[in-house]
Amino acid sequence: MNLLEIKGLSKRFGGFRALSGIDLNVRQGAVHGIIGPNGSGKSTLFNMISGVYLPEPGSQIVFNGTDITGKPSHEIARLGVARTFQMLRIFEGMSVIENMMVGHHGLTGYSPLAAVFGVKSVRSEERRVRAEMMELLNFIGLADYAEMPAGEMSGGQRRLLALGRAMAAKPKLLMLDEPGAGLSPTNVDILLDTVRALQQRFGLTVIIIEHILKLVMDTCETVSVLEHGEKIAEGTPAEISADHRVIEAYLGREMKDEEVRDFLRSA
Amino acid sequence: MHPVLPWLGGIAVLSFLPLITRTAYDQYLLNVIAINVVLAVGLNIVKGFAGQVTVGHVAVMAIGAYASAVFSVHLGLPFWLALPAAMAVCAGVGLLVGIPALRLEGAYLALATLGLAESVRIVISGTEWLGAAMGFEGIPPPHIGGFVMETHFRYYFVVMPIAVMGIYISFAILRSDMGRAFKAIREDQLAAAASGVHVAKFKLIAFVLSALYAGCAGSLKAHMAPGYLNPNDYSLQEMVTLLLMVIFGGIGHIWGAVIGAIAVTIINDLTQDYYTYRMAIFGGVIVLTVMYMPRGIGGMIEDFWVRKRFAALRAATKARQAAP
Ligand SMILES: Nc1ncnc2c1ncn2[C@@H]1O[C@H](COP(=O)(O)OP(=O)(O)O)[C@@H](O)[C@H]1O
Ligand SMILES: [Mg+2]
Repeated sequence: MNLLEIKGLSKRFGGFRALSGIDLNVRQGAVHGIIGPNGSGKSTLFNMISGVYLPEPGSQIVFNGTDITGKPSHEIARLGVARTFQMLRIFEGMSVIENMMVGHHGLTGYSPLAAVFGVKSVRSEERRVRAEMMELLNFIGLADYAEMPAGEMSGGQRRLLALGRAMAAKPKLLMLDEPGAGLSPTNVDILLDTVRALQQRFGLTVIIIEHILKLVMDTCETVSVLEHGEKIAEGTPAEISADHRVIEAYLGREMKDEEVRDFLRSA
Repeated sequence: MHPVLPWLGGIAVLSFLPLITRTAYDQYLLNVIAINVVLAVGLNIVKGFAGQVTVGHVAVMAIGAYASAVFSVHLGLPFWLALPAAMAVCAGVGLLVGIPALRLEGAYLALATLGLAESVRIVISGTEWLGAAMGFEGIPPPHIGGFVMETHFRYYFVVMPIAVMGIYISFAILRSDMGRAFKAIREDQLAAAASGVHVAKFKLIAFVLSALYAGCAGSLKAHMAPGYLNPNDYSLQEMVTLLLMVIFGGIGHIWGAVIGAIAVTIINDLTQDYYTYRMAIFGGVIVLTVMYMPRGIGGMIEDFWVRKRFAALRAATKARQAAP
């Protein structure tokens, strides 16, 4: 069964076609990779799915049986789509635990008026949310930093927090935009382990945009390749790495067979 | 323990404050401070929590003050009904002020709200039944049965508890899910929306909440002796003074806004004789604060506290990063 079905998705910025007629299906429970050179439209694809931009007529995005084409971001989020941003966009002026609690906003159930009157149920709900978020922080290894302002965290910790905040919404679909960017190889491994553990524990479906080929090849069962806003290939990692067009798209020139082999070995 | 109990304790303690004042003028000043606390704490919700620009807050206060005056003088409502009615009017105004905020940001939003602020003052100045430029006179003080709160001493026991409750409500909101939604909007709207926060809805709520505070402050000002309103008390200069309270106190810090309101009201009073220079000084202090102490007194206190608390943790993190 497909959790996400995209048909004919297009996006233009002025005269520039960032995405042209993308079809994409993501199976329930899959870890699906999206690769492609810089500027090929990967982040734009996430922005379309999560409702940041309005899609063009003729585009259709169906999530979990619901047509979400053109719905506002917060509604899509509440249906179970969580994402991270390439630039992270964590709430730097808030503490780590507050970042997590904003992530849980859609599942926090009490009225502001009840909060003003200091109703007991509000206090117990706050305690529940805090405890659940602490548990999640524990899982991603940030529990010690719960009260620290997020702006004080290191790069690797910020990436983990961005992941944690997305997970705080208990999503069905988790979309990660270049989660490994700027991380050392060890930290990439830690992050990947965390993603895999989360995926298994919560039965998630994950889409990963990644630049680091190795990361995608090791983790994903299906990989889609974008170039100039078009999907040029799709298949298992093995199929993709045998595809000349993919590697040429990456390196921006034609290559001989030996070169391709070398590249794959080094990547 | 119910969270409101400590605040009731605070009201009890503050009830003794007028006893150490020497003159009726001191008592008047206490009341002005309380009203400015309401105003500043309210502005802090929209500006400090939700991060929205507005320079129209004083105009909303003016609308609250004149609405309350009209309700009590022309419609004969007692203060206790005129106050909530004026606040309701201001809630509607807050909604209207908030709508441009859904499309505009930063300087453009400042210009839009500035336009509103000045036009309110000009319309009042030209409207006969609002007293026009001569001002609105004869607004009755509150009373309970035959007990009339016409002295500043008595009025203190109306404004002070309201100010304390205003601070309490502001804290209750900040610490709730809604307060976090406000702050998330201030920090990053895109990420807030991706977390399920209905950005437009909460922006409007923030404007309405702060307008409720402004309306309350306006009504309190209207019914304070001598029960007189003048449109010139709601000029741009008052807005600069109000901004100073919130910025100097520390944007986004409730206690900062309270401290700012107290400090600026007292300084404002002490420098009355230097009226012509005051605005230049206030403007200068705002610029200097924004440049060198952008998070105000509240931010400085918080930084100090955070630094102490997390010094060890941060050192450990640094050491780990430095290690290969
Ligand atoms: N908001 C925008 N306005 C104009 N152009 C944009 C916008 N967002 C993305 N683009 C353009 O669309 C193309 C695809 O961008 P993006 O999806 O971020 O690529 P990727 O994530 O694959 O590196 C780029 O050429 C980029 O400059
Ligand atoms: Mg990108």
